[in-house]
Amino acid sequence: MKYAVKVDCVTKYFNVYYDKANTLKERILFFNRNRSDKKHVLNDVSFNIKKGETVALIGVNGSGKSTLLKLISRIIYPNGGSISVDGKVTSLIELGAGFHPDFSGRENIYFNASIFGLNRKEIDKRIDSIIEFSELGDAIDTPIRTYSSGMYMRLAFSVAINVDADVLLIDEILAVGDQRFQEKCMNKMLELKAEGKTMIFVSHSEDAVKFLCDRAIWLSNGKIKMDDKTTKVLKEYSKECGV
Amino acid sequence: MIKNLYNYREFLKTSVLKEFRGKYKKSFLGVLWSFINPLLQLFIYSVVFSFIMKNDIDNYAIFLVVALIPWTFFNTTIIQSTSTIVTNGGILKKIYFPREILPISVVTSNLFNFLISCLIIVVALIVSGVGISVHILLFPVVLLIQYVLLIGCAYVLSSITVFIRDLEYFINVLMMLLFYLTPIVYDYSMIPNEYRMFFNLNPVLHLVNAYRDILYYQQIPDVSSLCILAVVSFGLLFVGYKLFKKLERNFVEEL
Repeated sequence: MKYAVKVDCVTKYFNVYYDKANTLKERILFFNRNRSDKKHVLNDVSFNIKKGETVALIGVNGSGKSTLLKLISRIIYPNGGSISVDGKVTSLIELGAGFHPDFSGRENIYFNASIFGLNRKEIDKRIDSIIEFSELGDAIDTPIRTYSSGMYMRLAFSVAINVDADVLLIDEILAVGDQRFQEKCMNKMLELKAEGKTMIFVSHSEDAVKFLCDRAIWLSNGKIKMDDKTTKVLKEYSKECGV
Repeated sequence: MIKNLYNYREFLKTSVLKEFRGKYKKSFLGVLWSFINPLLQLFIYSVVFSFIMKNDIDNYAIFLVVALIPWTFFNTTIIQSTSTIVTNGGILKKIYFPREILPISVVTSNLFNFLISCLIIVVALIVSGVGISVHILLFPVVLLIQYVLLIGCAYVLSSITVFIRDLEYFINVLMMLLFYLTPIVYDYSMIPNEYRMFFNLNPVLHLVNAYRDILYYQQIPDVSSLCILAVVSFGLLFVGYKLFKKLERNFVEEL
């Protein structure tokens, strides 16, 4: 069995400054204030994800879930350890990268999809299904500065979900659109799951996690607390962190 | 590097297009600004340096235009590329893509702008009667050197600016100084002999001299200085790329 994502002893810290002296004036006046601390967000985290698995990352705020997703998508780099990913990664962490407000929805599909590494032919092939999924209709040819925030998010999500990645990283996307569109998104994810895509899913919604993921990894203070079947992990998790 | 660029060629294309078309999208005159801007500049400089401060250069407007337009290409590209990583911080934080594309796309979109402005040079040469000679065949060679030099500079400047934001302000002043250290409004021959060594350290000087030789004096430019410049440009591209790759790991955390 081949692994889609291999996370090996990954450590990540951020430098936290107390009153960082940024300007020359501050540096001279408060030369002794420039203390910094390393804040460990992830501490020696290791796990493997097989191809076709859907894995949920759960944990309270600040446990390192989003940092881990950013590391896997190569937006930031680890301070120790290594991460290897087999295949193309799409992150649905923040949607609508590269959108330009003065261009039409159609043109922005090209901008956005090209950031995901698609070439013109590949985009041409997908453009109809992207537009159809977004349900924007004729609005697709008007500048996106005229869009409502719901329309904007629907377009961004439709591009991201249609780029045909092997590994999808999803961070709380369920805030997209109305109830009906959210259900449509969930169904699309199930469809992708059935196609054998690997998914890593960060969510605070237990229902969504149960619905979609076979396996869950519980992060706590930058360490893996539990890594098992979703139902088992969720049971323990709600025992400790539940209301 | 090449493979990465090839995979993301569509992104390079769309971001050049976006920068190029987005620039004038909402303005009334649109792409015409690519002509109006250099023409106004040309007008201002030729009024100042030929009507107010007299000089005895033939066809001063032509003398000026063949150097001023390549200089504007150099100047705007350097200033824009210095801040490109910082201004694109939003996208960098959102998504992965080969970061080295950003400086290339700034330089390339300015290249297209330059090529449009070159129409002014061509029209000016023909209308004024100076004409175009066979030396114009060397134009692409000089342009290629300038393009490589600019990408090298863009890598160095854009990546350092992330960590030292003051560079942006320093570059603005430096470019103003460089404008007067480059023979644009005056001729290379006017520089006193004893200072030429110092002036020759400026890479833009050799570019501007070459453009002026090709288009205005219609003679073969100084081959040896162009060769040295080409070596320096490719060297800078290599070093700049290495530096950029080293620093890019920390871009997102600094932005």
